Amino acid sequence: MKKLAIGLYLLVTAALLAWAYNQAIYVAPNDAAQGEMFRIIYYHVPSFAVCFVFFALSLIGSIAFLAFRHNNPGRAQVADALAVAGAEAGVVFCSVGLVTGPLWGRRAWGMWWTWDARLTTTLVLWLIYVSYLLLRRFAAGPQMQTLAAVLGIFGALDVPIVYMANRWWRTQHPAPVFGGGQDSGMDPTMVGALLWNMLAWLLWGVLILAFRYRVERRQQKIAAEEAEEALNS
Amino acid sequence: MKKLGTVLIIAVPVVLFGWAGYLVFFAPSEPPFDWRLHMSQADHDTIVATLNHLYTRAAYTVTWAIQLGYAAWLIVKWQSQQRKLTENRRAN
Repeated sequence: MKKLAIGLYLLVTAALLAWAYNQAIYVAPNDAAQGEMFRIIYYHVPSFAVCFVFFALSLIGSIAFLAFRHNNPGRAQVADALAVAGAEAGVVFCSVGLVTGPLWGRRAWGMWWTWDARLTTTLVLWLIYVSYLLLRRFAAGPQMQTLAAVLGIFGALDVPIVYMANRWWRTQHPAPVFGGGQDSGMDPTMVGALLWNMLAWLLWGVLILAFRYRVERRQQKIAAEEAEEALNS
Repeated sequence: MKKLGTVLIIAVPVVLFGWAGYLVFFAPSEPPFDWRLHMSQADHDTIVATLNHLYTRAAYTVTWAIQLGYAAWLIVKWQSQQRKLTENRRAN
C-alpha cells in the first residue's frame, strides 16, 4: 500500500513537472522587453520559494530539537532529522536559484554577478546553510546537534531579510513581481505558468525532503546500533 | 544490473552539467558595442535571440542537473546504508 502511494506520488510529480515545463516553454508568451530569456523566471522563482519553505521547516526542526533534547530524546532525534533534511534540500533549491540567477543576469544586465542587496543576502543565506551542513559533517561529539540547531535558527533569520531586500533597498535586482506595489504583477498566462512550476517543484521538493529525512533517520539508527555494539563488546 | 542503474543515475546529472556548460561557454560572442558599424539590425537581433535561447536552455538544464545530481547522491547514500545495515545484522 505504501509502495503504491509512493509510486502514485512519483507519477503525479513527474506529470506535473512535464506539464509545468510545457506551460513555461510553449504556453507562456515571451516577455515584451526581455524576450525568451524571461522564461528563466519559471525555474528561478519557484526554486527560491521552495527553498524558503524548507529553511522554515529546518527552523521548526531546530527549535523542536532544542526543546526536546533533554526530556524526550526520541522526539529530539525526529526533529533533528527534519532540521537537517530541510536545510540540505533548501541548500539544493537555493543553489539552483543562485546558478540560474547569474545566467539571467548575464543576458539582462550584461554581468554574471553584482553585490546588490538581494543577491548578497541570498549568498549569505546559502553560505550559512552550507556551513550548517559542514558543521554536521565534520564536527563530532555530543554537542554537535545542539550547535547545528542554534546555527540553523540564526540562518533562518536571514530568510525574511532576503525576501525584503529588494523592497527595502532598490539596487540592481528588479522590484518584486508580486506584492511589490502598484506597478507589480504579471500577465495572467505568465502567472499560470509560474504557479504550475511552483506546485511542481514543491511536490518534487517534498519528495527529496522526505527521502533525505528517511536517510537521516536510518543514519541515526545505524549510529545507535554501532554505539550499542561498542558498549557490548 | 543494479550497478548499471547506479552508474546511470550518476552519469545523467554529470552529462547535464556538461551540456549546460557547453551551451554557455561555446555560445556565439555578444555583438560588439559598435555593432551598427558591422552588421544589420536583423543580424544583431538574430544573435541576441540565439544567445537568449542558449542561456535559457542552460538555466533549465543546470536546474535539472542539480536536482537529479542531489537525488542520485541520496540514492547512492541509501544503498550504502543498506549494505551497512546488512553487514551489521550479519555480524550480530
